Amino acid sequence: MVKLALRNILRNRRRSLLSAFAIAVSAMSIILLLALVEGMEVDMRTNLIAYYTGEIRIRSSQYARYERYHPLHLSLDDEAITTVLERMDEVAETSGRISFPAALYRGDRSRPVLTMGFDFTRETAFSNLASILSEGRLPHDRSNELVMGAVLAKGLDITVGDRVTLLASTAAGSSNAMSFTVVGIVKPPIGSLSSSTLYLSLERAQHLLFMEGRVQELVVRSTGAVSLPALAGEIAALVAEELGIETETQAFSQLNEMYGFLRIAKYIYYVIALIFFLLGSTVIINTTMMVIFERMAEIGMMKALGMDDGKVRLLFLLEGAFISAAGALAGVLVGVLITAVLSRVGIDFTEAMSGIEMEVSSVLYPSITAFTAVAVYLYGVAIATLSTLIPTRRAARIQVVEALHYV
Amino acid sequence: MFLLRLAVKNLSRYTRRTIITAVAIAMGIAMYLAVDSMLLGAAEESERNLKWYETASLRVHTTAWWEDRLFLPLDEAIEEPQPILETIHALGYGAVSRTRFSAELILGWEEFGEDGYLPVEITAIGEDDGTVYRYGATLAEGRFFNAGEMDGIVLGSWLAEDIGATVGSSLIVSTRGKGGFFEAFDAQVVGLVNCPNPNVNRTLVMMDIQAADQYLGMKGAVTNIDILVPDREEVQSVQRTLSQALSSLDSSVIVLTWKDLAQDYLAIVSSKQGGSSLILFLIFIIAAVGISNTMLMAMYERGGEIAMMRAMGMEERRLWVSFLLEAALIGLLGSAIGMVLGALATLYMVEVGIDLSFMLRDLDMGFRIPSVMRGAWSLSSFIVAAVGGTVLSGMAAVIPVRRALKSPITTALVRL
Amino acid sequence: MSRKTLFIITLLLFFSCASLWAITAEEIIAAVDANTSFASSHSSGAIITVDRFGEKKSTFEAWSKGDNTSLIEFTSLAERGQKILRTGSSLYLYYPEADQLIRLQGAALRQSVLGSDLSYEDMTRESSTLASYDATLEGEDVIDGIQCWIVKLVAKSRSSAYPIQTLWVDQERFVVRKGLYATAAGRALKEMEVIALMEVGGVAMAKESRIADLLKRGSSTTMRIESIEIDIPLPDALFSLENLSW
Repeated sequence: MVKLALRNILRNRRRSLLSAFAIAVSAMSIILLLALVEGMEVDMRTNLIAYYTGEIRIRSSQYARYERYHPLHLSLDDEAITTVLERMDEVAETSGRISFPAALYRGDRSRPVLTMGFDFTRETAFSNLASILSEGRLPHDRSNELVMGAVLAKGLDITVGDRVTLLASTAAGSSNAMSFTVVGIVKPPIGSLSSSTLYLSLERAQHLLFMEGRVQELVVRSTGAVSLPALAGEIAALVAEELGIETETQAFSQLNEMYGFLRIAKYIYYVIALIFFLLGSTVIINTTMMVIFERMAEIGMMKALGMDDGKVRLLFLLEGAFISAAGALAGVLVGVLITAVLSRVGIDFTEAMSGIEMEVSSVLYPSITAFTAVAVYLYGVAIATLSTLIPTRRAARIQVVEALHYV
Repeated sequence: MFLLRLAVKNLSRYTRRTIITAVAIAMGIAMYLAVDSMLLGAAEESERNLKWYETASLRVHTTAWWEDRLFLPLDEAIEEPQPILETIHALGYGAVSRTRFSAELILGWEEFGEDGYLPVEITAIGEDDGTVYRYGATLAEGRFFNAGEMDGIVLGSWLAEDIGATVGSSLIVSTRGKGGFFEAFDAQVVGLVNCPNPNVNRTLVMMDIQAADQYLGMKGAVTNIDILVPDREEVQSVQRTLSQALSSLDSSVIVLTWKDLAQDYLAIVSSKQGGSSLILFLIFIIAAVGISNTMLMAMYERGGEIAMMRAMGMEERRLWVSFLLEAALIGLLGSAIGMVLGALATLYMVEVGIDLSFMLRDLDMGFRIPSVMRGAWSLSSFIVAAVGGTVLSGMAAVIPVRRALKSPITTALVRL
Repeated sequence: MSRKTLFIITLLLFFSCASLWAITAEEIIAAVDANTSFASSHSSGAIITVDRFGEKKSTFEAWSKGDNTSLIEFTSLAERGQKILRTGSSLYLYYPEADQLIRLQGAALRQSVLGSDLSYEDMTRESSTLASYDATLEGEDVIDGIQCWIVKLVAKSRSSAYPIQTLWVDQERFVVRKGLYATAAGRALKEMEVIALMEVGGVAMAKESRIADLLKRGSSTTMRIESIEIDIPLPDALFSLENLSW
């Protein structure tokens, strides 16, 4: 049977090729689409973890409640908690941060900004600002220096070397202002960070805000051994037990709205995938129909010779299956290949991204997992094969007499 | 003309195959249009969210107000909004007065627990607000306040959730009026709003503008006049027109576009565009393959017939045209059906939107996302679909037709 | 002239009025105002703020000249070295670690000082009450054993912060003992209570007073003057911007 099917396919190479080609194109398209979405998800995850929340974020449990008021006094003991964290095997890196709103003054003009106090040494595992410095250098501890997002600097006409003054509400309930020298410009991949954020050394932020030794939040990177939400729970429990401190400790996926939204988008793309395959399948249907028409005589002959309907159907089904398998394989391979290339080069979306606030970079690198590739393959073969059933049902019902008419 | 009829006649000979191919194209086109509408809708979502619920298309402020806008200074309000409103209405645009001011909501400790007070921004609107904004459709619970209702307020549903307020909750609004005097009045939550703009849901407090006028001592002054510009018109040019018209009327005001205003609002997330072009490209490839296939089969089958026609002296060029027309007609048919389907899908998505909440429930996320995805109309996409579908189909037929017409008449005749 | 002289003259003016026995609200307020206006002063004290997060104490040293010029320097830890200079209707903030002065004008003055119930604007007020308010005598009352007049002040314009003020004025010493600040509709917003008095240049003055926010429960600001010298010579240079940056 199988041999018969294969022979039939090879007999009409052109036609088979066309059908296979249609399937291949569908498969390739799906791979590319999914790779793109996957790329976005990976990118967003990277950005969130680096610049916003780490893999796990620890805050005082009261902080969330009063978040509107930026209650800096609801802070955490950096050293105490870090010591506890370092003893945990699953914790790879930690970093303490303070983020606070401030007014940036230059003469009489002022403008609200978001300021982040980072320990740049510990941050190499997270935001690694050194890698996004476009000018100048990172601030030194104990020096009144800061770096600024590129878009913000441009908007305020500030260059490296300029002095600015920051006015902020402190953890002690007072206000405090300090002047800083801009020693560097950074270009975060995310537009909103570039347009509204400044970075100081954590030590300086603590000094400005009367928060010596304390931080607003701690971010954590794990070794990957345990699931992040589980690890978050462990950390919270351990800190509560050993230090008596109640925290709000969560994994990044639990913290960001957009990330969840992106996962929804993936589902939508799966639906699109289905439709693509259906489209490709119509070609097979057409081809198979024509084939049957052509081979009417042959079918009649086979039936006259005793082949039953089921076998006829099976034959055509096998033919369809082989074509689909070959086509889908080709398509998936080509798709994976293109993805591999693009994952090095990247697709530049800066044009489309301008004016859009999302924690996704402007240049995206598609990627695809082996699992997805295999899934797409099987999916494609299945759909395409099943779609051959429609014409073959007709074929099977052809009466011998009718068929012989075509001889 | 004859060729056209010929093409149509030929197509009707192979109805099933024609239909299947056309349907394939139709589905592809429909899907393209649907996805394009969705992506466009998502991309426009942030724009729409701003325009429908926060900024309108254009806004008139006094220059002084705009400079001090972080403080929402009532003292720098538009003193005589009426002439400005009339001017704008005369030009044919919807415009409404609004007053925005900062206040504190003081929550009764019995009802709300210990978190006593919350700094908010209150927007006071009139009954005609619906001519510019679309809050009417977003009421989740309760009702809107009536004109002149002194103590009714409406909250964004997430804000209400955050503070534990429900319809019927009483609280006190504490603020400062025009001039600086302290004012405080009792208010009751009469309604909750749930709209696709998360920022609004999180921060909205609304009250009646006549009530605000009395409490704040505005004496008819308002802080801004918001204007609706229909989508088809270009906002910037309307801005210029209005600025000119108003400068003679009141030199202290400026007209700002929603883009100018948007910087101060929380940017709403939207997904990228450009994905739909990719899909279109891919769909066209598949459609091309489908057409080629159909034509190939047609050519193959009708080899003899073609030979006959050539033998009888039909010019090759006319044969070309006839077959290409066939292909193009399939494409046209497919595109037409596809456009109808696509239009229906887009219509549904624009008016109703796709409710994603079923997915949200499964994903178990602790936070809230606007769960309805809406589509958007794009005339250009429809035109692209129609033209592309037809032209491409014609083009896809070229190769098979060429092969058929190349083979010598004699061999073709054998096929007869 | 010294404050005490001014006070005596004012009193004499009252007693020389045709209607000896019926003192008017205006006269009471005029006397109160006279008591609280100095040619110059040098004081030190503390502001204690209570809000949802707890209690906060800030100490300061202050100088004033006339009604429109004053300098405050904070001496408590969280604000050490910070200064506020008021000249006319402008306010300048000095922070020790900032290169520049921060100037507050217009709407920025409505922000609160140190998170208290006082705004920067409150610090720049005109001190002539009768110019902004219509006064009526409502009656008499006894507070802590002290006989007081109840004077009701209704704002003449919308630019006065409190549309209605009700003041309990000590009949002997012409100092406000208690104040109730309300909206035009009569809703009470804040209550001020004098907790302790002190004697300065022969006149009584509030040593410690507390303002409680009646809408936001648990929110209050207490002002305490530890020491004060009045009508002393103060150089103009003290109130200059250059001095502020020093």
